[in-house]
Amino acid sequence: MAAAVVDATIAELVVAAQAGSHAAFTTLYGRFHRAVHAVALARVGPADAADVVQDVFARAWTRLDSVRDPAAFAGWLMTMARNRAIDRARSRAPDDAGARELAVAPAPTAEAAAALRAIRALPEAYRETLLMRLVEGLSGPEIAERTGLTPASVRVNLHRGMTLLRERLAPPESTGGTP
Amino acid sequence: MSGDYLWDRSGEDPEVARLEGLLGGLAHAAPLGPLPPRRGRRRALLLGGSVVAIAAAVVVAWWVTRAPASSPAGCGAGGAGFAFTARGGAARCGGGATTGGVLPVGTALATPPDVTAEVVVADIGALTLAGGSELTLAATGTAQHRLRLAHGRLSARVTAPPRLFIVDTPAATAIDLGCAYDLAVLPDGRTRLTVTEGVVELAAGPRLAHVTRGHTVTTAADRGPGTPIAVAADPAFAALVGRWDAGDAAALAPLVAAAGAGDTLTLWNLLANAAPAARPAILARLDELFPRPEWLLADELVAGKPEAIAGLRDVLTSGVWLAPVDAPPSPIAPDANPGVWR
Repeated sequence: MAAAVVDATIAELVVAAQAGSHAAFTTLYGRFHRAVHAVALARVGPADAADVVQDVFARAWTRLDSVRDPAAFAGWLMTMARNRAIDRARSRAPDDAGARELAVAPAPTAEAAAALRAIRALPEAYRETLLMRLVEGLSGPEIAERTGLTPASVRVNLHRGMTLLRERLAPPESTGGTP
Repeated sequence: MSGDYLWDRSGEDPEVARLEGLLGGLAHAAPLGPLPPRRGRRRALLLGGSVVAIAAAVVVAWWVTRAPASSPAGCGAGGAGFAFTARGGAARCGGGATTGGVLPVGTALATPPDVTAEVVVADIGALTLAGGSELTLAATGTAQHRLRLAHGRLSARVTAPPRLFIVDTPAATAIDLGCAYDLAVLPDGRTRLTVTEGVVELAAGPRLAHVTRGHTVTTAADRGPGTPIAVAADPAFAALVGRWDAGDAAALAPLVAAAGAGDTLTLWNLLANAAPAARPAILARLDELFPRPEWLLADELVAGKPEAIAGLRDVLTSGVWLAPVDAPPSPIAPDANPGVWR
């Protein structure tokens, strides 16, 4: 049974979870928690993003019956993650948000924090996709499966986003003088 | 090409690898926390659904026995179909005059010139049927909702998975990919599609036009869908596209040369449908107007490789989905079917 759950398609897992299977839902969590975390991390700091992940999956568990088309689960979950992350960001006073922004252990290096800020300043579609790739370690095809986007769209978002990120992380050109 | 590390970790990209190392420590690794108890929602829904179904049956029975004069047989309030409401007078459904009801499968809804109808498209959207139009519900189900527009115009807005909502006309088939659009059967029998949000495909036989937000296309007589152009396209450019669609091969070179930054989707449709010999010039102009990602190989595009052609389309249209959803005003020319569009 455990092997069957591990090998099941997402739609099969959703149907099983709707019928009450904890094992199926835990497997869904295993496949989607990093993508949900990336969606949250695009809007809130790492500490809050971890809370959003747990919140999203707790809500998903209680509301799975509202997913009429199991194949639409990925899009449904990502939408819920965006909404919860936005709610979380709104609930934070600016000062509080700043204090919690990087309150994780171990704290990211200054260079990592700068890279994270640069990614979070990108347009939404690029931001989420790059966080899934660079932070969560998902490949392009895995991102497509987790988000419900077409592989071509994910590829476009990755490459366009990375081009913008390279520009923004590049050291400023020196002015005047000769090398 | 030595691989695409950003996409699938094939090949090398030191900067991406460095960022992975830098940011990987922030990856989520926590296990699933305790789950709240589930409500017996499915059971409650079933119970609630039963109550609603019984109540609905009672209402329908009352409605049928009441036999209202405004609702002809077959288009009453009950049964499977699309609910509709006529505005400005009575429409004809199943041969009888009515101001509203349910359009059953296989039945036509016809509007007089001064009457429009609002039609609910299952649970995925709605459409407005213009005056002087006739629309038949061909099929409705979880796999597909399909309508036939015999004449007149409709404006649809649908939120659904791609290819679930389809409208046939005498000249073509409009396949929704998630969008809002206007569709008209012109007096001469041609079909015109104008997309106000998202993307729609217009197909006829082997020809297919990929029409994005802010673009319009008209079927050419006996040639299927023409080439989509921007609603705001320069009239001289539109005239060249019209010549090309009418079979004037000499129009291609000036058309390609005249294409501007707002015409890249037109060029993509040309590339997808043109003969192989014409593709290098079209691609060269596209490359001048739009920075093509290096993973989209020119050789594959010129050869018409479907994956490459589709990949270029996705690159060009990704902004369609990212752009704000402020729909432009309905771009269908008011004189295309005078007096019947509100």
